[in-house]
Amino acid sequence: MFKKVLIANRGEIAVRILRACRETGLETVAVYSEADRQALHVRYADEAYLLGPAPSRDSYLRADKILEIAKKSGADAIHPGYGFLAEREDFAQACADEGLTFIGPKPSAIAAMGDKMTARNTVIAAGVPVVPGTEGEGSLSDSELLAIAPQIGFPLLIKATAGGGGKGMREVKSLEEMPLLLQSARREAESAFGDGNVYLEKLVLGARHIEIQILADTHGNVIYLGERECSLQRRHQKLLEEAPSPFVDEELRQKMGEVAVKAAQAVDYVNAGTIEFLVDKDKNFFFLEMNTRLQVEHPVTEMATGIDIVKEQLRIARGRQLSYSQADVQLKGAAIECRINAEDPYNGFLPSTGRIAHSLLPTGPGIRVDTGVYPGFEITPYYDPMIAKLIVWGETRAQAILRMRRALEEYKIVGVRTNIPFHQTMMDSHRFMGGQYDTRFVEERFSMQDSEEGREVRPDIAAILATLVAHQRTQRSAQIVRRGERDTSNWKWVGRWERMHR
Amino acid sequence: MKYIATIEGKEFTIEILDENHIIVDGQALEVDFVSVSGQPVYSLIVNGKSYEAYVYPAEDEWEVLRRGRMYPVRVEDEREKRLRAAAGSGVAETGEYHLKAPMPGLVVAIPVEEGQAIAKGDVLLILESMKMQNELKSPRDGTISRIRVKPGDSVEQRATLLSVV
Repeated sequence: MFKKVLIANRGEIAVRILRACRETGLETVAVYSEADRQALHVRYADEAYLLGPAPSRDSYLRADKILEIAKKSGADAIHPGYGFLAEREDFAQACADEGLTFIGPKPSAIAAMGDKMTARNTVIAAGVPVVPGTEGEGSLSDSELLAIAPQIGFPLLIKATAGGGGKGMREVKSLEEMPLLLQSARREAESAFGDGNVYLEKLVLGARHIEIQILADTHGNVIYLGERECSLQRRHQKLLEEAPSPFVDEELRQKMGEVAVKAAQAVDYVNAGTIEFLVDKDKNFFFLEMNTRLQVEHPVTEMATGIDIVKEQLRIARGRQLSYSQADVQLKGAAIECRINAEDPYNGFLPSTGRIAHSLLPTGPGIRVDTGVYPGFEITPYYDPMIAKLIVWGETRAQAILRMRRALEEYKIVGVRTNIPFHQTMMDSHRFMGGQYDTRFVEERFSMQDSEEGREVRPDIAAILATLVAHQRTQRSAQIVRRGERDTSNWKWVGRWERMHR
Repeated sequence: MKYIATIEGKEFTIEILDENHIIVDGQALEVDFVSVSGQPVYSLIVNGKSYEAYVYPAEDEWEVLRRGRMYPVRVEDEREKRLRAAAGSGVAETGEYHLKAPMPGLVVAIPVEEGQAIAKGDVLLILESMKMQNELKSPRDGTISRIRVKPGDSVEQRATLLSVV
């Protein structure tokens, strides 16, 4: 049984895992890049070792160095977090070869689910429904894809075979625009994953993105922890998640949960995992993919079920039985998570970098903030723009929304622009309040300018504030000029003044 | 000191008498105004009512962000307002436009070349930052006059990438 865990990640998720280890009484080892010397995960861990320069490929993707550090520090387990090495079967295998416990699934399960074609064929065999497309037909050339596209029908999606997180993904409306989009998708996939292979998939219109969290131990127990609603996305990046989904009733939850368990069992899955589904407006659901790791949005499930998923991960990896049976899993109330990104919602969501000058976190009942940054920390362009996750719980969904509004208003971050105003606008949107949204909502029917009824608009206050700030600045610059004037002799000054007034 | 603040075409005349007294459109108000825990977050108490907002300087105006709502505010004293009125309004559609990097990043591709005619909305350059590829588009029609970077270059924020005439 392991005693010391190396966390092969950075940012809020490294901090999250450190906390679970600390509470479980496990020693912790952090790794960091040159850009992250002052990061919270480095400060919180028992031990910390430098990996290399800031770019991921020189630091957090250096599996060899991470294994070396594990050996040097005496760590006997590795938690990969999400992203970076989390879904690399070769890394999981290398850990096993070194006699280290990989806190996650077996390499064979990562391989089976990581290769989308194998994943698709495996779940089809297990009786799980999938979306029509060319996935599972191998790496096709552009001309082959162009020939198949009309059979699938437009609109369709080009997706990266090695992908995730929306990178290398393009939407195609017609055959004419497809060649150019194929090119750019391949280019982005090549740069993000080192693999330019793509496949096609039918675009399900009005679709919701709903996923099921599962936990599986080494004793053959597999349970589902309900669903997460992840339909609010921009450029296929999730922005806001909730549990439970306002769209899912108990019957659908059970059906999806059982199918998810089947999919996990099909690859002999162990540890925490997530099955992503597309759900159409008639509540038909299709398997999208399985994420063989901890998810960014796991806290909403934790808040709604009261289960600490990361601690269960540690427990499973130590070979123990799950702490819960399916009957123990009860959803209580509603949880919402807003991903706080260093992006300017008033400027096309362009990333914003800089030093966090000031940060005031929301607190109080039902609030949780998972973050890896603090005042003085520099947001660099090297990593993901997500700097924090704000999660709230409420007895009902309406209570959770009201609480989230309150928390977003309290949250102050100075130094970089954030998407907090986006979330505030979303919380005020009638469609969101009614749970009436799908995966296209943010891009097609949502605007930062939309002023919903009942929303307080105070241009007079804005005018006063701007004027007072402008006035203060004018006063200050006047003072600076006056101070400079002292360099000239006062007598000389009086002389000039008198001449001017003659 | 008298200022005119303009928000989306609506004007407010604001006279600052002293630190705690202002007149807004003829109405006298008692104000208490401080910067809290570092700029740009400001707290304003007007006749007992408490307000808080971010106030950011933008190019030639201020951006006030309050409760998830952005108010672009132009603040001018009377002299400035007269000067601007005399100069006539105008972001000209002619002259040179310089595309600047909105954030530091890596130039991935430049789908245009010097001398090429382009239309408003055309993609001029693809810049990768924070693992995302961002398409920088042309704000108007024109011709590419000069390209100052090449794919693979790392650029700083506000670096001039290319010019359009």
